[in-house]
Amino acid sequence: MKQDSPMMQHLKHAAAWCDHRLGISEVWLPMMRHPVPKSVEGPMGWWYVFGSASLTFLMIQILTGIGLAMVYVPSASEAYESLLYLDYEQPLGWFLRALHYYAGSGMVVMVLVHMTQVFLQGAYKYPRELTWVVGVFLLLCVLGMFFSGQILRWDPDAYWGLAVAGSMAGRVPFLGPVIVHTLLGGDIIGGESLSRFFTLHVFVIPGALLGLLAVHLWLVLRCGVSKPPRPGESVDPRTYDAEYEQELKNGVPFLGEAMVKDMLFSALATIVVVLIASILGPKGPTDPPLPTMGGANPRPEWPFLWIFAMLALSPRDVETFIMLVFPVVVIVILVLVPFVSNRGERSPSRRPVAVLVVIVTYTALGVLTYLGATAPWSPKMHAWTGDAIPVSMVERSNVSELVGSTVFQYKNCRNCHALDGIGGRRGPDLTDVGTRLTRDQLIDQVSNGTPGGGLMPAFGKQITPAEMTILVDFLVSLRPEGTKPAGWATPEPSLGEAPPQAAASTDDRDET
Amino acid sequence: MRHAAVTYGAALAAMLAAGCGYTPPGKPNPADRPRTPAQITDFDFLFQQNCTGCHGDDGKFGPAPPLNDPIFLAIVPDAELLDVITNGRDGTPMPAFARRLEGPLEEDQIKIIAEGLKKHWKSSKLSEDKLPPYTVAAKDEATSTADTEAGKKVFARACASCHGDNGQGSSEGHKPGRINDPDLLSLMSNQTLRRIIITGRPDLGMPSFAEDDGRPGDYQPLTSEEIDALVALLASWRNQPRSGATVTLNVRK
Ligand code: HEC
Ligand code: HEC
Repeated sequence: MKQDSPMMQHLKHAAAWCDHRLGISEVWLPMMRHPVPKSVEGPMGWWYVFGSASLTFLMIQILTGIGLAMVYVPSASEAYESLLYLDYEQPLGWFLRALHYYAGSGMVVMVLVHMTQVFLQGAYKYPRELTWVVGVFLLLCVLGMFFSGQILRWDPDAYWGLAVAGSMAGRVPFLGPVIVHTLLGGDIIGGESLSRFFTLHVFVIPGALLGLLAVHLWLVLRCGVSKPPRPGESVDPRTYDAEYEQELKNGVPFLGEAMVKDMLFSALATIVVVLIASILGPKGPTDPPLPTMGGANPRPEWPFLWIFAMLALSPRDVETFIMLVFPVVVIVILVLVPFVSNRGERSPSRRPVAVLVVIVTYTALGVLTYLGATAPWSPKMHAWTGDAIPVSMVERSNVSELVGSTVFQYKNCRNCHALDGIGGRRGPDLTDVGTRLTRDQLIDQVSNGTPGGGLMPAFGKQITPAEMTILVDFLVSLRPEGTKPAGWATPEPSLGEAPPQAAASTDDRDET
Repeated sequence: MRHAAVTYGAALAAMLAAGCGYTPPGKPNPADRPRTPAQITDFDFLFQQNCTGCHGDDGKFGPAPPLNDPIFLAIVPDAELLDVITNGRDGTPMPAFARRLEGPLEEDQIKIIAEGLKKHWKSSKLSEDKLPPYTVAAKDEATSTADTEAGKKVFARACASCHGDNGQGSSEGHKPGRINDPDLLSLMSNQTLRRIIITGRPDLGMPSFAEDDGRPGDYQPLTSEEIDALVALLASWRNQPRSGATVTLNVRK
């Protein structure tokens, strides 16, 4: 046997010393080689890769996050500028931002897929209930990271998060004001709110996340990897432990095929995320923060679009329920899952209810997210001064309708209502509202807004009678050339376009 | 195991490629760099964002009086432009744009727009001297009956063919419609009435009355006094009883 050089000998000696003190080959190696059920080696094993992919994304998040923190300034006056510096001046700064965003998104996706797999394959059942419960809180941490992260962008989109967080907290009975004050660093959204969310994003939530993760991983090791489910094999807490031990007798080491699957999948996921980041680039910041953040056109990040849609679509009275009660209910249900059924069949083919729950949940989330993403409910703040009245409408207008359309702009109607598809989309497009509503109905709608304090504000107190008359002249004229106004009943060709009913009730305005 | 190394290597290569030479599509384009609203100083952008809503793309074919109008730009005093944009016109839908009046623009931005209007759209061919002055005699409503009587004569001669004998609109069609409507007139300033008579609405088919371009040989442009008399007439229509047309705003509690 060849003699090692003295240098080599010293190194080996040092390594052995460290190994002895740290217990690597004594404790850690066996841990990595812990046996897993044999069928994990087969194709079923591919179901087990999502947890470790989440972990890979977490590493990317930590690394890119550290990089970003070196440049980002968490102050209201400089946050936005420092992001622009990253995007436009710092070499590859934009890529760092993009990767942090898409790997973060990837993490949410992986955690959700992982959870769904665990749920569908009944892996949360005895003895892994606690692993699931800790996992639920890990999911909350990941969502919390996303939520606080979007606020650090400090652009108008950040405002959505702040406003929702503020009004959620403000609804907590008794403690509401205190929580709002602590969360926002004051009673209103301002520079201090940014410091608070920076602290949450960089210290508090990551701390909690890493702590919970340690417990989660320990539980995975302690309880062992669940055996891929087979129909007919059912979990019974009284006999499970013995059966599992038996199963492991001919198990395979984790540090082997199982690990290779994990690594392959993580690598693939990483490549996908890197590609997406370099193709799509960093997200935002959008418009600069406004001094007051008022006039913003806020939109939440994608994991929260479904809540956005729910809030926008439901009547105001249930807002408190959606903001306060609903999230608690969802969390409690998730936590209770393994306690409701911790025994019995694991295979999805024998658990139709579980499959149905997953399908219904994802369909609902998908539809709401789609609605949240496509229907731009938010008003468009510059529409009243920046979106021209379509020339075709101007050209066919008479003098009253011309002035009426300036009133339409002046009263900011355009910020929520489009004409020919251009303008805000909070309310309906009014291009042919004249065919739908009569003069009286229009006056009523503008004066009183949506009945019951709905989405459209009442303008009755902010508009003079003259403005109202002229505005409604314009609205009545909004209909395709040659069509009659709404309420037109008996055609009287000689009378031009007067709708007899309207004329009878309010006035003789439409040309006679 | 080796597969993983290869894929990780590929990821690294992609990152390196992103770094040097080739520009990936995700790299933000400096031209898209957002600016704070106060930093914007180019006329086109400011006009587009703040004025087109009422004055039309390119300053014409909007419902409000065209700003891209050579006659208007030849006669309007610089101070007037600055004043209207800063303070708006009370009682009309022309809003105040100055920050101190809760508008969106800084003083220097207002200046850029006011100066830009002439810089962009003023024509050198028209001289102010041959045109009636912009400023209206009676800024407020006070008009004498003598003026309105004179106004009626000018109206019959110059305006009635399109707007009807008493401004009630022509019987022929939808346009230009009624202009003796008190509600309508209460939303237009005397200044704008004078200006509309001088410039017309060339974008919408109302001719200028201060110029003889395209008119028959014997056409006499209206004089400054005749225009004021017309304004007095239109202003007096504001006080007509409202023809039962006025809405009652029945605001529900
Ligand atoms: C909400 C509609 C609206 C917007 C937006 C608007 N204007 Fe006006 N503007 C009007 C109306 C209506 C008038 C006529 C007012 C009157 O009767 O005197 C007017 C009149 C004016 C006049 C006087 C024209 C004249 O004939 O004497 C100027 C100059 C003017 N606007 C400039 C601007 C500029 C510049 C902007 C953009 C910064 C702007 N306006 C934006 C509605 C608007
Ligand atoms: C050749 C026909 C014609 C004549 C003559 C005419 N007008 Fe007009 N007038 C129009 C048209 C067209 C409009 C634009 C409104 C529309 O498109 O329906 C208009 C618009 C107006 C407006 C509203 C402008 C605005 O921007 O809202 C006023 C005020 C007006 N005219 C006054 C007069 C007066 C006063 C006279 C006489 C000096 C006159 N017009 C002569 C055709 C005419």
